[in-house]
Amino acid sequence: MRMANFRSSYGARRLALGVLLAVLLGFFLLPQQLQSLFQEIGGPVGWVLSWPIRLVASVQGGVGDTWHRYVALQDIEEENRQLRKELELLQGQNSQLREAASATERLTALLEFKAQAAPAMVAAQVIGRDTGNWYRTILLNKGSADGIQPDMGVVTSAGVVGRVVKTTMATAVVLLVSDPNNAIAGLIQRTRDEGIVEGTTPGMARLKYIPLLSNVRTGDRVVTSGLVGGFPRGLALGTITTIGKEEGELFQSAELRLEVDVNRVEEVLVIQSPYVPGEDGMSDGPLPKAKP
Amino acid sequence: MKILVYGCIIAALVAVHTTVLSYVSVWDVTPDVGLVAVCFIGLLAGELEGLVVGLLLGWAMSLFSATDLAASMVAKGTVGFLAGLAGRQMAQVTPLVLVSGLVVASILSNVITLWSLKPNDQQDLWWAFRTIVMPQACFDAVVGGLCYWLIWSRLNFDRLAEGQEF
Repeated sequence: MRMANFRSSYGARRLALGVLLAVLLGFFLLPQQLQSLFQEIGGPVGWVLSWPIRLVASVQGGVGDTWHRYVALQDIEEENRQLRKELELLQGQNSQLREAASATERLTALLEFKAQAAPAMVAAQVIGRDTGNWYRTILLNKGSADGIQPDMGVVTSAGVVGRVVKTTMATAVVLLVSDPNNAIAGLIQRTRDEGIVEGTTPGMARLKYIPLLSNVRTGDRVVTSGLVGGFPRGLALGTITTIGKEEGELFQSAELRLEVDVNRVEEVLVIQSPYVPGEDGMSDGPLPKAKP
Repeated sequence: MKILVYGCIIAALVAVHTTVLSYVSVWDVTPDVGLVAVCFIGLLAGELEGLVVGLLLGWAMSLFSATDLAASMVAKGTVGFLAGLAGRQMAQVTPLVLVSGLVVASILSNVITLWSLKPNDQQDLWWAFRTIVMPQACFDAVVGGLCYWLIWSRLNFDRLAEGQEF
């Protein structure tokens, strides 16, 4: 490969060095201001750049659909049989849950509790993944123009997916629940012990800070506690698979099998407001909205 | 015209990174095709173009990632600038020099990113080098080597360029 670089003038080289030094100095002296400025300008730029991403994502989706519908149908009969069995089981469970729900409704009315608010949500499609290797994130096709902001929770019908960390006008970056930099307040459903769910480096999750006296056991379900962050109480996070109790430690920790397979998620719901203030400014009122 | 070409390259690289590259990951590590492109631009077009394209690509990529904006811009910009400087020191780049240079550039870029991270108790320096920095450096070098082979050996880029000059 021959270098065509001998043509670059002395002035261009000096300018390049000057620009590099200015950028470095700028980020050292005014890190917050410059970051906000670039993030602000990045809104419309992100909107422009989101179009080629959508284009490639739609082509990719089309190819994937064709593959799944017509080519990869080898084990479909066996899968169908298993799903039918599962459906029967779930129908049985469903009727039990309906019964339990109606009992809860009666008791709630009896105790004059207000029903928990259904959070306002926006549906979005996953169009990409992180451009680097340092974080586990997904890219959504909706952004600040659709009312999505950083720190909003992201879920599917199965459970929690992650948290919005960055937005442009047309896209949002979601840090997955399996990323080690993510932390969500969790609650063991059976024992009511609280802890923090964080991702692990192999791509799983663990529940930290479980009290030593807790009688947590494998198979217990962990849900969001709703105390902090953009999630209401009771969304499924995962199931405990192993419990770690080390001598001298003040707390226990447990490995979780996540409820949502975050590597295969395609559509999600972004929780815009987990709680809707009622008349007294504290309580919740019903607001079931899911914008298409 | 050049601005339009570079704009298209940046848009294409961002689209490829967010959509396609996750399918070619090995041990959960994907190659940084943007870094390879910035290296080539720096080598062929000089420090200024390498730096500016690097800064813009770093910025564009950080908009679709949780990575720190400043680290992403500085890492890619520095690599473009250094590639330009390196390109001025040699008349011809052999595959071995290119591949070694890409390994060094990838490590440098990831060290700058690592420096900006706030690692938690699971992510120490050894973990970062073992699972991300070194595998990605090898991956980037392989991708760069393949690009070199494809463009300069199969398409005979130098001869095409000479033909255009006459």
